[in-house]
Amino acid sequence: MSRLPFSSAAELQDALGAHSYLADRGLATAIFLGVSLDKPLLLEGEAGVGKTEVAKVLAELLGRDLIRLQCYEGIDANQALYEWNYSRQLIAVRAAQTGEGGPTVHDLFGPEFLVERPLLAAIRGGSSAVLLVDELDRADDEFEAFLLEVLSEFAVSIPEIGRVAALEPPAVVVTSNRTRELHDALKRRCLYHWIDHPSIEREVEIVRVRAPEVSEALARQVAEAVARLRRLDVAKRPGVAETIDWAHALAFLGADGLDGEVAEATLGAVLKDHEDLELARAHIGELVGEGGSGGP
Amino acid sequence: MSEAGPLERLVGFGRYLRRIGLPVGTRRILTYCQAAAALDPFDREDLYWAGRATLISRREDIETFDRAFDAYFGDQVTGERRVTVPDVAGSAREDREPPDGLRAEAGMVAARWSGAGEDDETEGDAALRIVASDVEVLRKRSFADLSDEERRDTAALIRRIEVQTPQRHVRRHRPASKGPRFDLPRTLRRSLRTEGEPFRRAWRDRTTRLRPLVLLLDVSGSMGPFSRALMQFAYAAMAAGGRVEVFCFGTRLTRITRTLQTRDPDRALRQIGREVEDWEGGTRIGESLKALLDRWSQRTALRGAVVVLCSDGLERGDPELLAQQMARLARLAHKVVWVNPLKGSATYQPLARGMAAALPHVDVFLPGHNLESLAALGRILSR
Repeated sequence: MSRLPFSSAAELQDALGAHSYLADRGLATAIFLGVSLDKPLLLEGEAGVGKTEVAKVLAELLGRDLIRLQCYEGIDANQALYEWNYSRQLIAVRAAQTGEGGPTVHDLFGPEFLVERPLLAAIRGGSSAVLLVDELDRADDEFEAFLLEVLSEFAVSIPEIGRVAALEPPAVVVTSNRTRELHDALKRRCLYHWIDHPSIEREVEIVRVRAPEVSEALARQVAEAVARLRRLDVAKRPGVAETIDWAHALAFLGADGLDGEVAEATLGAVLKDHEDLELARAHIGELVGEGGSGGP
Repeated sequence: MSEAGPLERLVGFGRYLRRIGLPVGTRRILTYCQAAAALDPFDREDLYWAGRATLISRREDIETFDRAFDAYFGDQVTGERRVTVPDVAGSAREDREPPDGLRAEAGMVAARWSGAGEDDETEGDAALRIVASDVEVLRKRSFADLSDEERRDTAALIRRIEVQTPQRHVRRHRPASKGPRFDLPRTLRRSLRTEGEPFRRAWRDRTTRLRPLVLLLDVSGSMGPFSRALMQFAYAAMAAGGRVEVFCFGTRLTRITRTLQTRDPDRALRQIGREVEDWEGGTRIGESLKALLDRWSQRTALRGAVVVLCSDGLERGDPELLAQQMARLARLAHKVVWVNPLKGSATYQPLARGMAAALPHVDVFLPGHNLESLAALGRILSR
């Protein structure tokens, strides 16, 4: 643990802040524990609350390589772990046939013909890597079981080469949008943190850090409007990323404040669903805090 | 952690959570203690966040955890830093009973479910005992008119209905004897036996998978018997190996898939009786659908699924909202089937405002009020 550049959750929280990621105490504690106890950290939360970003900034902070495994329906072990470079093998075999003392069969399954996929890369990288398993809920159940196996051993056996094991496990961040429930076996192995939408205060800070060209006043107006939007019973609640996009868009248009007209014109930066847009347009005055029902 | 006191407090907290119904195993408690050691010196807030990260892993459990934490460690606002362990009077507190509120929350409310399966007769026995002529009668009798015994027999029969959803293509390719895609890896491996000459070519084809089946069951008012029958139907679908999601609704939506996945169907149904709070209350289909679509529309469960909605369509809410949500559902789903037991009566006309609003978005409309009709439903689903 001595190699970690922070010795407490509070220090980590500050360090994350220095890397433009404003985490609350709970998230900082969870990350700190994950790295200290060598346990994978499972992050859940709605889309756009910054789950993926945690792994990126953690890699930066620790000076490690970020290795990302994006999950999707139908992903299998070959795409996640390793594959042989068959085209290259084929060429090598043909070359051997034409003489030239090419490779032996043994060479053919040597490291130079092995295509490393994210999980193998992470095992080889060991403690110099941060492994991000993104949107695990999209993968199939079988893949989850496979991942569980890898996460508990941090070793794989490749028949032609032998066992590859990590001396020290990499830091692991697993994210899920909760489109389905992950298995309890996997959850038990992980630390868990639910990332909520940030408070208005924190969202203003985040906008200021991520979009420095936006004035404090505008950032606050945007954060408040987004907070109202989230309460407005929209189908797809906007995430922090959308707040930042909106602030960028408004600053780019040279708006110095948020009024109904500007908001309506730029609403597409926050809401991406037709019904949601209609709903928001109907409440536009309320959203920007104009008229009777202002205030957060 | 040199003294025995703090450690016991931490372990005691884990056991306390277990007692009020959260799934906290020894492994989690161990991790919690490790976490506290890693954070040492810790304050109350550290203990709280460490507990949230290590002891629970479901968003639904956070609220219960919060209350339990306050109840166990005392609910003063964040203490000062460097307090080794919050000072709460005596260790006797660890063994006390959870407060009433928590007890209720942990799902210990009395069961209101009084349907099939209170006895210990197994499905197999029941099925054997049903004589053929009885079956004929049972097949046509409405679920609402069944005696307790008949209901048990019927339940066993429903579970034997073959339920299969249609297949769809998935991205994954599998080795195949012939197929549209060339399989270079396998061809190469084979070619090694023929001195690198790729004589025998290998192919891959797309795989198919069963579409998910989503059952939405109205448990309000007179719908109880029919919804229970469809729950048995859900079991049949699960047995066929497909992915099945089951929701109940009356005034609000409850997901009961996880409970249904336990091995013992009768126990599961009793458990659901406890979980579903508005068993036989009013109906708000539109709102329930909206809750479903908002929370689950991104989830693979709904997209491309076969959705079966069982309700009499007597909507208490706004029919306009119902129509809107049905349109959303129809856009997402592969097929929408509405099962309305009232349709079993020869004179029925879908005049109720809710039903009329929903119908344009329904692909198949059928009664599902007796065995025969459910068997027909099973056949329709696979098309």
